[in-house]
Amino acid sequence: MIYLEVINIVKEFGGLVANNNVSFQIEQGEIIGLIGPNGAGKTTLFNCIVGFHKPDSGKVTFKGKDITGFKPFETNREGIGRTFQIMKVTTGMTVLENVMVGAFCRTDKRNIARAEASEILSFLGLEGVKEYHINELPIAIQRKAGLARALATKPELLMLDEVASGLNHKETEEVVELLRRLNTEKKITLFLIEHIMEMVMSVSQRLIVLDGGEKIAEGLPGEIVKNENVIKAYLGEKYAKSH
Amino acid sequence: MMILDALLQGILMGLLFALVALGLNVIFGVMDIVNFAHGEFLMIGMYTTYWTSVLLDIDPLFTLPVAALVGILLGLASYYGLIKYLLRGPAIAQLFGTFGLMLFLRYLAQFLFGIDYRIIQKGVLIGKSLSLGPFIFDWTKIAAAALSLLSFGFVYYFLHKTKLGKALRATSINKEAASYMGIQTDQMNAIAWAIGGGTVGIAGGLLANFYYVYPTVGLLFVMIAFACVAMGGFGSIKGVFFAGILIGIIEMLFPVFGQQIGWEFLGPHFKFTLVYLAYFIIVVVRPQGLFGWKQ
Amino acid sequence: METIKDALDFRDFSKAERIGLILFTIFLLAFPWIGTGSFVKAVMIQFLLFSLFGMGWNTIGGYGGQVELGKAQYVGIGAYTVSLMMVWWKIPFWVSMPIGVLIAIGYSFIIGYPLFRLKGHYFAIATICTSLVLQDIFINWKLVGAAKGIELPIHEHPDFLYMQFKSDTYYYYFIMVFFYVALFYMNRFRKSKLGYQLRMIKDDEEAAESLGIDARWCKIKAYTIASAFVAVGGGFMAVYNLYIDPYSVMDLDLSIKIALMAMLGGAASLWGPIIGAAFLVPLDRFLGSWLGGYKGLIGVDFMIYAMLIMAVSAYQPRGIWGIIEQFRRKGK
Repeated sequence: MIYLEVINIVKEFGGLVANNNVSFQIEQGEIIGLIGPNGAGKTTLFNCIVGFHKPDSGKVTFKGKDITGFKPFETNREGIGRTFQIMKVTTGMTVLENVMVGAFCRTDKRNIARAEASEILSFLGLEGVKEYHINELPIAIQRKAGLARALATKPELLMLDEVASGLNHKETEEVVELLRRLNTEKKITLFLIEHIMEMVMSVSQRLIVLDGGEKIAEGLPGEIVKNENVIKAYLGEKYAKSH
Repeated sequence: MMILDALLQGILMGLLFALVALGLNVIFGVMDIVNFAHGEFLMIGMYTTYWTSVLLDIDPLFTLPVAALVGILLGLASYYGLIKYLLRGPAIAQLFGTFGLMLFLRYLAQFLFGIDYRIIQKGVLIGKSLSLGPFIFDWTKIAAAALSLLSFGFVYYFLHKTKLGKALRATSINKEAASYMGIQTDQMNAIAWAIGGGTVGIAGGLLANFYYVYPTVGLLFVMIAFACVAMGGFGSIKGVFFAGILIGIIEMLFPVFGQQIGWEFLGPHFKFTLVYLAYFIIVVVRPQGLFGWKQ
Repeated sequence: METIKDALDFRDFSKAERIGLILFTIFLLAFPWIGTGSFVKAVMIQFLLFSLFGMGWNTIGGYGGQVELGKAQYVGIGAYTVSLMMVWWKIPFWVSMPIGVLIAIGYSFIIGYPLFRLKGHYFAIATICTSLVLQDIFINWKLVGAAKGIELPIHEHPDFLYMQFKSDTYYYYFIMVFFYVALFYMNRFRKSKLGYQLRMIKDDEEAAESLGIDARWCKIKAYTIASAFVAVGGGFMAVYNLYIDPYSVMDLDLSIKIALMAMLGGAASLWGPIIGAAFLVPLDRFLGSWLGGYKGLIGVDFMIYAMLIMAVSAYQPRGIWGIIEQFRRKGK
């Protein structure tokens, strides 16, 4: 059975095509990177899979079940987690409380939610900041808190939207390490959008490249860097020809 | 025949409703803020016309520039004195803030003028009517409709043909892009409030020609304006024009309709209930407005 | 059992807060014996009543962050159910009040379902609309007394079943019981799954949905709870005032006051609505009676009120409790 399958997804916004006939498959246990220049339609594709957008046409199946048009909370209940690039925080919720909200989606009991949240926080090394409000923390910790929150919903497939953007080199390496641990220890399939090439190359087992809403390449990191279409998309027509 | 009469009367009122709603929608378009005090701006426009015409003993129609000026000043004062500060806070605070302004103006009027219902007695057009065959129209309403249309046209021209107006519309379409092009958001906001206050001031002045003036008169009209805005689409100038007319027709036609088929619940007392219901149904079923126009 | 334990569990509060709660309770219990006049007692009853309303509003408005401005319709539903059942069928308060609450719950589901398709301004205005429609219907509906309202029959002897007493002290203690039930309920609510989920929705609805939360359903639940609270207060208002009309129990001003008190005190906190009511109810009453005495000063109390709303919205949208919290966090 195919784990996650995206078939011919089309999404337009007022005449502007954000995703055009995108298809691909993901196998259980993989780490997949989704890359592409700005405006390539990466986030839209994510949103079509998790249900923030309803694709105009096409189909998404997860573990053999058609989840096209499911609402975000429904896809989450199917086992798809998602993190955001920016965390909006206005009310004073602590890190622990944030993660507890995630845990509450599998239980009604506060004590259980709290215990699970604490466990995840210690897995991520965040015990020290659990009583802080999220906006009081540096960006790297905020990202981890966001990750913890999504993990608390016990996803099988975790979709990460630019977890490493805005982080320095050392912090990025930490995140990479963490993602590998999630993949091997917690057996979570990872699907990430990333801008930082270095990071995505080192962590992903396979890459999918979008440009102008269409899939232009798919393959191993080593193949992708040599792919002419990808070089064109990233560096422009001229550069590709001169090589 | 009664239906045709109601239809025509409805159009006359509807033009005025459109003018009332126009300012609300310009402000909403530019800053994404709903001004709950809009009805109180109207009420102040009405009082301005009432007092200017009574105290100076001039025809109410000549007081319109005064009403417009008062409206503009009120809009600017509200923006610089309150709204600017509200923008820093969450949306809930913005709503409450303009709510506070609404209460303040309402009770200020009550404090200054008492709760009496006042109506202008003297004026060239007051009490006179135009008979066209079987139809009778009050001249005050005809004048109000005509001047509303004129004011609306003027604002429309300003927004679409002048440089400043275009800048304002650019801001309402995309704030960020507009600020990159060197348009100052703060200035645009102030202008939106001036237009909002000015147009509703004129609308108040026109309304005072044939409608009672009292401190809580605003609530009714602000709800009508909300319904117009919802129907025409939040931020759409064209939409609000047609929505205003449509609501004017609904408001006049339904009581007549109800009377004819013997449904008492559609009687005159309920005409505004219908407006509230219309708002509710429209935003739930078609949040983009009945006509689905965007600027 | 566990639910009750949870409701009475204030362990996560600071010592100062717990002592404050005990002192406050002692004060409330002893209050009628301090020997104050009937005016002050009436103010205290209003304070407890509006705290109850505010705590109800706080579920959807405070924790859920939805600008709800139509609570008066539920005050009306509670008050009219109690009054009409008493006038028509002589049904006692303790039967009609729960029925009023059930009607409020049913009605809020019907209204809430379409209502929570809306967000932001659209939602806020729509809540006002629904409340105005109901008020208009009652103003024109002859069967329920139309604009004239309903007078409740006055019993010759005090009657517990019909909540008729000669002395305000009895009313005081009854509303105090309702107040504490509400307080304990809210103490449980803020720690409950729904409470956490609502706070997440308020922070970021998209993120909440991606954490498996059905935002619309959560909001409907909170709205229903709020409506039930408010309907209890409405029922009490009917037997306490012995007279209701659509203006006194369904007016927009009432909706605003309810929301305002919670916001001024500090939305999304247990104490917020109580602090807000403690501040605004006496202000409202004393200003009213004090300034109302001077003929030329009609409306000045509301102007002061309105200036307060504007000042809070512009400078401290998190209310009085928000300021206290801020200081406490800085101190840490």
